[in-house]
Order: sequence, then structure tokens, then C-alpha cells
Amino acid sequence: MIKAELFENLHFFSKLDTDTLAAIVQRAYQRNISSGETLVIEGMEAEACYFILSGQLRVTRMNKEGRMQVLARLGPGAPLNIISLLKDQKTNHASIESLTAATLLVIPAHEFDFLLNTYPDFSASLLNTFAERMANITNLAADLSLYTVRARLAQFLIELADQPQTAGGWTQDEIAAHIGTVRDVVGRLLRDFESQGLISRERQQIILLDKQGLMKQAE
Amino acid sequence: MQVDVQPIINYNLCTKCGLCVTGCPVDALHMTSTGPVLNKPTTCTYCTDCEGLCPTGAIRTPLIVSWRDNLEK
Repeated sequence: MIKAELFENLHFFSKLDTDTLAAIVQRAYQRNISSGETLVIEGMEAEACYFILSGQLRVTRMNKEGRMQVLARLGPGAPLNIISLLKDQKTNHASIESLTAATLLVIPAHEFDFLLNTYPDFSASLLNTFAERMANITNLAADLSLYTVRARLAQFLIELADQPQTAGGWTQDEIAAHIGTVRDVVGRLLRDFESQGLISRERQQIILLDKQGLMKQAE
Repeated sequence: MQVDVQPIINYNLCTKCGLCVTGCPVDALHMTSTGPVLNKPTTCTYCTDCEGLCPTGAIRTPLIVSWRDNLEK
């Protein structure tokens, strides 16, 4: 049985009643996964939802040609596969894979339904999380349709540098998938930004040099 | 040259196809029975070409993005 101390301080659970937390403890379990493991495959039957206790995972969609779009890259406290369990047709809405070794709280689909229908505070917390996720997806859709790849990359570099806790560990492939382009374009634009003096590159470091210049690129 | 950060190889995903070894512009990689190893770490420039060539995503060259001002603090 999973211990409540492992998750009760996470944002989603922090406002839940002790009765609700006790019900989750009875119905959830802990799962450890290694780096690079596929947790959920798009289109397959949705068996559970997950909350990240530690580690990082990414949520992706892929087209028939294998081109990937990263919808989100999530860390401790974030729920996963919620939308899949709320749909009438309970199939996985996107694929989820681990970027690092991770520990998850797993709530099986039928237990999720029970918690949703029995504990209003669980439903309210879920609604709150859902609204935040919807806002993020709306922003992503706007970025993809309203800005050029150059602007999206500049925005993303600024975003990463402003949030040092999430700034590590992005490969050029992952950056490309996140901003809706391909690796070669990211590489070419990084070289272009470098030649303009906006950034410099030192081994694994991308150092942003010119904030005003990058913000102009991001417009 | 700073060599503490090197390409990360996931041998569970590696198929030993050798594309990273033949494609490395500075010949820093060498194929062994368990997969590629970075046998010349001081030669590796972290150009990230090996990551781009790998068909299975077994090699990662993650990047860290920072403001210059934050690095100087």
C-alpha cells in the first residue's frame, strides 16, 4: 500500500480531505519506471491515470510519418492520462514516455471513476488541473499557428532560461518536437542566432546573451 | 577542454548499427560488443551529430539553456 506522505503535499492533493487521501491510499499503488520507458501508447485502452512523484515524462502525439509533437513535458506533481479516462471512449489520447527514471502514483481506471463520483474535492481538484492543462494546450495551439519557427524557438529558449529548474536535459530533437519542427531546423536556427550574437554555445551550454534581441526574434 | 559532459548512450535502445561511430566528425566513438563507447572523450566536441544520426534515440546530448547574467553570479 502506498503511503500518503509520498503524495499529500503535491499540488493536486494538497487541498484534499483526509478521507479522500485515505481512499486514494487504498486504491492507488506506486510504480517505478526507468528512463526511456513508454508508459502509455496513444490509441490503446486507457487503463489508469498517473501522478508523477519524481522524475520527468513527456506527453506526445505522432502522425503516420512518425513526426512527433511534444504536448507537454511534466515533472513532480503533474497528473497524466486524465483526459483519456474522462472520455466516453476510454482510449489513450496521447503517448507518454519517461525522460528520466521516475516514480508514479497509479490510479486504475475503475478506481479513478469511483474517486471521481464519490469525493467532490477530488473532482474539484481534477477540474482545476484540467483548466490549467487546457490553458497550456491553448497557448501551444496559438504559438503553432501564429508564430514562425524562428519566433517559437526564441520564445522557448527564453522560457527555458527563465525557469532554471526545467532548463536542463533538452536535446535538439526534443526542442524540435516541442516547437513543432524538425531537428535540422533547430540546429540551423541556433547557428543563425549564434552568428547574430544572440546566443553562444559552449559544449552542452546554450548561453543567452542578448535578451532584447531574442525578444525581438520572438515577436 | 571541458569534457565532464558527454553524450549519454542508452544501451537498451542501441542496435549497434554503427551510424554514430562512422558519422562522428572527430572519430571519438568506437564500437564494442556492447555498443558504442566514447573512447576519446577529450576529442568529443559535443557537436550532437551522433544524436541526430542515431535511428533509435539511443544517444542523447542534452543542452542546458541559461542567461549569461545567471552564469556570472
